[in-house]
Amino acid sequence: MSVKTLEVIRKRLNERPDELRKARAHGQKVVGWTGYNIPEEIIHALGFIPIRIAIGGDDRLVEVGGRYASSKNCVFIREIVGAFAENEDPFIQQTDVLAFDATCLQNFRAAEVIEYYFKRDVVVLGVPRNFYWEEGQEYFVNEANEFTRLLEERAGAKLDGAKLAESVALYNDIRKTLKSIYHFQAAKDNVISWEEVFDLIQAGDLLDKKEYLTLLQETLAELQELQPEPVIEADGADGRIFISGSLIPRGDRKLISIISAVGGRIVGDDLWTGILPHLDLDIKEISAAGVALGYLNRTPHAALPYLDLESDRRLKKLHELLAESKAQGVIYHTLRYCDPFTFKAKETKDILNQSDIPVLEIHTEYAGSDYEAMRTRVEAFVEMIKIKAESAAEVAA
Amino acid sequence: MAKNDLYEYPKELREEFEATETIQFRDGSQATGADIWHYMTEVAPKKYPYAYTERKYVDGRMSRDIHLPSAIKHNYLLLTMNDRINKSRENGSPVIFVQGGQSVDPYYAAGGIALRPASVGMWARGRHEGLGLNEEVFRRHKQKEKAYHAISFEACQTAGYETIQEDGLPVDMVAPFSCLRCSDISYGVEAHRHGPNKTVKLMNVDYPLRHQADKPWAVEYFAQNIRRLTSEIGKMAGREVTDDDLSKEIKLHNEGRRLAIDTAEVWWSADLPPTNGLDRRHILQMGGMEVHGDPSASLTVLRESNAYIRERVKKGIKAEGVVDKPVRLFICGSCVRPNDFRIEEAGAIIVGHDNHWSDISTLVKEEGDPYQNLAHAILSYPYEQSIEGRAAWTIEQLRKSRADGVLFLYQWGCNTQSAIARMLCDTIKRETGISTMVIEQHEGGSEQSEQMLNRINAFVEMLG
Repeated sequence: MSVKTLEVIRKRLNERPDELRKARAHGQKVVGWTGYNIPEEIIHALGFIPIRIAIGGDDRLVEVGGRYASSKNCVFIREIVGAFAENEDPFIQQTDVLAFDATCLQNFRAAEVIEYYFKRDVVVLGVPRNFYWEEGQEYFVNEANEFTRLLEERAGAKLDGAKLAESVALYNDIRKTLKSIYHFQAAKDNVISWEEVFDLIQAGDLLDKKEYLTLLQETLAELQELQPEPVIEADGADGRIFISGSLIPRGDRKLISIISAVGGRIVGDDLWTGILPHLDLDIKEISAAGVALGYLNRTPHAALPYLDLESDRRLKKLHELLAESKAQGVIYHTLRYCDPFTFKAKETKDILNQSDIPVLEIHTEYAGSDYEAMRTRVEAFVEMIKIKAESAAEVAA
Repeated sequence: MAKNDLYEYPKELREEFEATETIQFRDGSQATGADIWHYMTEVAPKKYPYAYTERKYVDGRMSRDIHLPSAIKHNYLLLTMNDRINKSRENGSPVIFVQGGQSVDPYYAAGGIALRPASVGMWARGRHEGLGLNEEVFRRHKQKEKAYHAISFEACQTAGYETIQEDGLPVDMVAPFSCLRCSDISYGVEAHRHGPNKTVKLMNVDYPLRHQADKPWAVEYFAQNIRRLTSEIGKMAGREVTDDDLSKEIKLHNEGRRLAIDTAEVWWSADLPPTNGLDRRHILQMGGMEVHGDPSASLTVLRESNAYIRERVKKGIKAEGVVDKPVRLFICGSCVRPNDFRIEEAGAIIVGHDNHWSDISTLVKEEGDPYQNLAHAILSYPYEQSIEGRAAWTIEQLRKSRADGVLFLYQWGCNTQSAIARMLCDTIKRETGISTMVIEQHEGGSEQSEQMLNRINAFVEMLG
């Protein structure tokens, strides 16, 4: 059983760079963005074609990027810098303007490096660390207005309220549909895997938004037909894994393929290249400020420190998603030098262990040299949670 | 450690030293030359034998330019840190962990004591008496290892976790400027939330990025952060902090900053270096008035040092251990520096650092709203500007200090400075033709790695 629309999406992704080239030849501009609080609707409403720059998995590009930034930057950032240095990625080649945010300071530094060495036009959005303060929110509103002004200059047009409302409605529909689709992957006798949904989510980073929504709706319709009543239920033999931690961008499938190869089944994630950024985004007002605050007030990214453990919404969301997905264990993925997540690895493990949720931290980079070491550890972990789940089922019986 | 392994101040220096200036502390107390001499020759060698090591390349080895009073007084202030900070805390001054490279005016205005990581480390070190050098280094590394275990082995800056959470150091608040020169610090602050010490207050004084000083809303936001900071410290100190308190503190700290700028210019103007690189650095850092945990004390020593340097320059006195025409090195990057003794042996001298100097050389406007003025000044630190802005300022310092070469050093695990190192060096080379070298330092034992020092020596040889 396969979902036919997924094939269409793969085909459309292959055709997309050419499509972007043609659009640019007709005067449209492409904004490549990277970060965690970039209000994409503003870019879209200004008539730009937004694409997300999130690539990984190529240790050669990491090496190239490290020559311009440093070997102490996270591998994701190094790969992005390396990709701009080589300028061979078909999507990066089509970008006219870049939009970076300062949620993660390494992302901010990458913007500086790319601007300096590759002479790219970069717009940077400042993000408050004290995002939960009223003063922090006010600062962010001002930053969002400035971000909009800089993009307006490049668009040669002012942000139009009606167009922004249309973009917000479109993006809201995308988020809603994604959430519905996501539910299917965690279901018993699932007809779509988490891996397929993950690819589907990331396809939205690159495809035309209106077409993407149509394709998502077609996917959802297919799923509803194939499995009218999906039920999320734990099965002792499932080895249900939840992935948390550093982002896993397109091109990086090392950990995911290992989990699957050793008999684990991924049933959920809180990755920033996964479902998380699409959840809980509530835009209360149609304005640049309203959209920006909607983004800032989602579950916060780990790069924004939060000083009270008890009321941390990131951890609360993690617990909520774990419960929803009926996951039996968490693989906490940390990329080399990804401070926002590595600094919290032990803390997260301690907290989840208190709820009797087993956690395995996998600290890795894009080189293949640790593949077998990772495989051994993941295999043991999957085996362990399966045994644990089976024992629990036996006791319950 | 055997007694003969320890340095002893020459007895014949006593009279000359005892006649030097008295240190005035913030609480009104004083330490005369005689008090200091007694402490440094009788008390400290027993309490802190490691500080008197004769091993030349040890990080923290005391200056041997003993005719320069600050060479002894700076170490006196460091070695008495534990006693002094404990006394101040008992008298109601909360201690706040801050970042290096930031000004501390608001912390003191609110009645607190601001200590940067190195100073917190010095305070923590002071609680363990009688240790020889190897014992002390082992203790320190064992302690740091606990922070790596609780946070991440990739951490460079751990926001004092090892001392505050694992060693019971009674710091009252961890409240550095975030995003300033270091990305680890704000995550380090956050890490405290899962440590055993639940009483320490936490705050990130949020430093906005990207053309921050040109954005009125960024200045306003940072001013609001400072207001929250002074309010929180004021509560701990049991007082209400007024604008006037901050204005007075800014004036006092501006005095230190101006004096440091003047001292640097006099030092740089000399044909022969009037002090060694180590003393130059220690003296100029006193302009930030944070290194000793007592701004008044730092200011007293800085004033006296300024007079000594002026006198030496006037008389053409060259510092001991420095060759006649040394290769002049300027150091860029945070938290690390090469060993001065080794550099001088190789025929060079360190004539400046961008680290700390960026904030010390930034004066704060004294008329008008002190919070806005301070916020604007802090957001103007040259070190925190765009690469073009930082490079332009660095080049100005290179010209003033007549530097022959630039070393950019960063600590292993430092994402922020490492990412800017090549850009800065490339700009300097392009604009000035001055040679540059980028080196990563791995935190090691008490001495810097031979490999790193060899590379620096080769660089010096090339420049010479």
